[in-house]
Amino acid sequence: MFPSLDLSLGNIYFAGLALTALCCALGVLVSRHPLNAAVLLIGAMLSLSGIYALLDAPFLAVLQVMVYAGAVMMLVIFVIMVLNRAREDALPRFDAWSVATAAAPLALCGLLAATMIRHPLQASAAAVRGEPEPIAERMFSMTGGGWWLLFVAVGVTLLVAVVGAVLLAKRKLDTPAEEPAQEAHHGH
Amino acid sequence: MITDVINWICANPYLVASLLLVPAVPLIFFNILPLLVVMERRGAAFIQDRPGPNRAGIWIPGLNVRIRAFGMIYNACDFVKLAVKERFNPAFAAASGYYVAGPFIPLAAALILPAFIPVFAPIAYSTADGVGWLHGTTIATHSGLLALFAFSSLSIYGIVLGSWSANSKYSLLGGMRASAMMVSYEVSIGLAAAGMFLIVGSFDLAKIVAWQGDHTWGIFAQPLGFVLFTVAMFAECNRTPFDVVEGDSEIVAGFHTEYGAIRFMLVMAAEYYHVIIASALISTLYLGGYHLSPIPLPVGQDFAVVNLDDRWMREHLGAVLALMLGIGAIGAAVFAGLINGRRVHYLKSGATDAQERAREYILYTAAIGGAALLMAVGAVLLAGWSPAPKAVVAGVPVWGGLVDVLTAVAQFHILLGKIILVAWLFVWVRWTVPRFRYDQIMALGWKVLLNGALINLLITAIIVKLVR
Repeated sequence: MFPSLDLSLGNIYFAGLALTALCCALGVLVSRHPLNAAVLLIGAMLSLSGIYALLDAPFLAVLQVMVYAGAVMMLVIFVIMVLNRAREDALPRFDAWSVATAAAPLALCGLLAATMIRHPLQASAAAVRGEPEPIAERMFSMTGGGWWLLFVAVGVTLLVAVVGAVLLAKRKLDTPAEEPAQEAHHGH
Repeated sequence: MITDVINWICANPYLVASLLLVPAVPLIFFNILPLLVVMERRGAAFIQDRPGPNRAGIWIPGLNVRIRAFGMIYNACDFVKLAVKERFNPAFAAASGYYVAGPFIPLAAALILPAFIPVFAPIAYSTADGVGWLHGTTIATHSGLLALFAFSSLSIYGIVLGSWSANSKYSLLGGMRASAMMVSYEVSIGLAAAGMFLIVGSFDLAKIVAWQGDHTWGIFAQPLGFVLFTVAMFAECNRTPFDVVEGDSEIVAGFHTEYGAIRFMLVMAAEYYHVIIASALISTLYLGGYHLSPIPLPVGQDFAVVNLDDRWMREHLGAVLALMLGIGAIGAAVFAGLINGRRVHYLKSGATDAQERAREYILYTAAIGGAALLMAVGAVLLAGWSPAPKAVVAGVPVWGGLVDVLTAVAQFHILLGKIILVAWLFVWVRWTVPRFRYDQIMALGWKVLLNGALINLLITAIIVKLVR
């Protein structure tokens, strides 16, 4: 009796997670405080990771939690906390720019929907399954078809970006005495 | 309907066991928490040469004894105090939703973590179509360790959101420090553990533990990795010497300055639960997990699918249980002797409550001595037992219910013993090593641990490449 529950249970979980993801995504759009939007975005990412896990791709699910919900959103929340500390007034919900930029994701949605209607998704467990070993083999294969050189190049690029950021930050740090002196001058 | 369910349960005992493990494992891990608190308080007292919490007690009228249970009554008192205190919402809290949710997030994130830790070796059982496996990991996945890191990294949200919403500068500074430290030390944790992944070739904690059973413990394969991982884990748990997150002289109690009553208790529970998880992770990655022996012992007949230490334990189950019970019996007997010594000493001191204390100590001695006796009898009875596999199905030995249950219990207790030893290491370091300054912590994290982990990874990669 219990094994027969499997399929329907999966569907119930999928419905719950998909609904949560959609509601959170909608909340990101309409929330007026950036911190609320960021927290709702974490909710959407966690639900997505649950959907990946339901699709038999635990590695992808874990990476979603680790990289997006864990690291990227942490940085976003950190920045919001530091920058938005002083302003308690909420932001406007929509302005002309946000309505204009909404066209791009809507167009993408339409494109995806059209593609999915024309070619229905055929999810085979073997193709969807993202295990660490096949991914690593695909990426770092030295014999052919591997992307290890690209990987190293991306790593070096990121390193250059980090060094550049440190250099830019250092330039400001190196001249701390001037700022207060100037301000004092202006004050007089 | 009910008979259907009962029939299904009787027909699939191993499936029922795997279902029962889902709530059981986190609950058992959670129940180490009060023990850890007692260990922390008594350990601190022991290291600082003072008696520690030893006043609160429960009066038992019939026996005319006041039981203090080695400071455990203090735990109960603290729990009652924190649980029934008024829940206080500071009017200055910026976003009360985040303020209320703050303490729950770390605990909720931590409660899922034991599900990824293998607590016993996979058990083979015969089914209608071959052989089935009951995994010791509640969520058996190939990315178990990554999942553990991922979910434990979510707990920082509770600290950050809670500290921000409390709208106090001490809280905010504490939260900033916590997240900065988490970010700097998570890199070292991942890189230090990467040496272990390279050797085993998998993120699966069950596979990592099985490799240690077949070859040797991680601490011998990765000594530098073990040290780096342990130090980084100390920092991740925000404990002394890395406790800049709270500091009496600078930022009061750090991120939980504005939390009181049961919310404060949740914060502290999450902190201690993280210590337990960290101990479990260190034991699993580097101390052989549930395995008994650091080197594989000779087994009668080798089955490639079963790891050697597990196989050896099953073949010598009686001797293993006798050894464990014997260690328990000796420990309990020594403890009972110490308590009896206290009783004699106290009676000689001529204190006014000497008779009352003596009665209490006699009760302890009797209980612990009785337990020691029972364990010794059990050890003697079990010593000669050496079971054989009931059948070999598709090249896998199937041992049958009793051996499976006893092996799983024995392996779980081995893991628990290692967890408690590592947790004691946490307590020991906390009360021995003085606190670091903030810049020292950052220098240690980025200049020593990170470079050490990278060098360790490089050396490991070269050796693994040469060996394979």
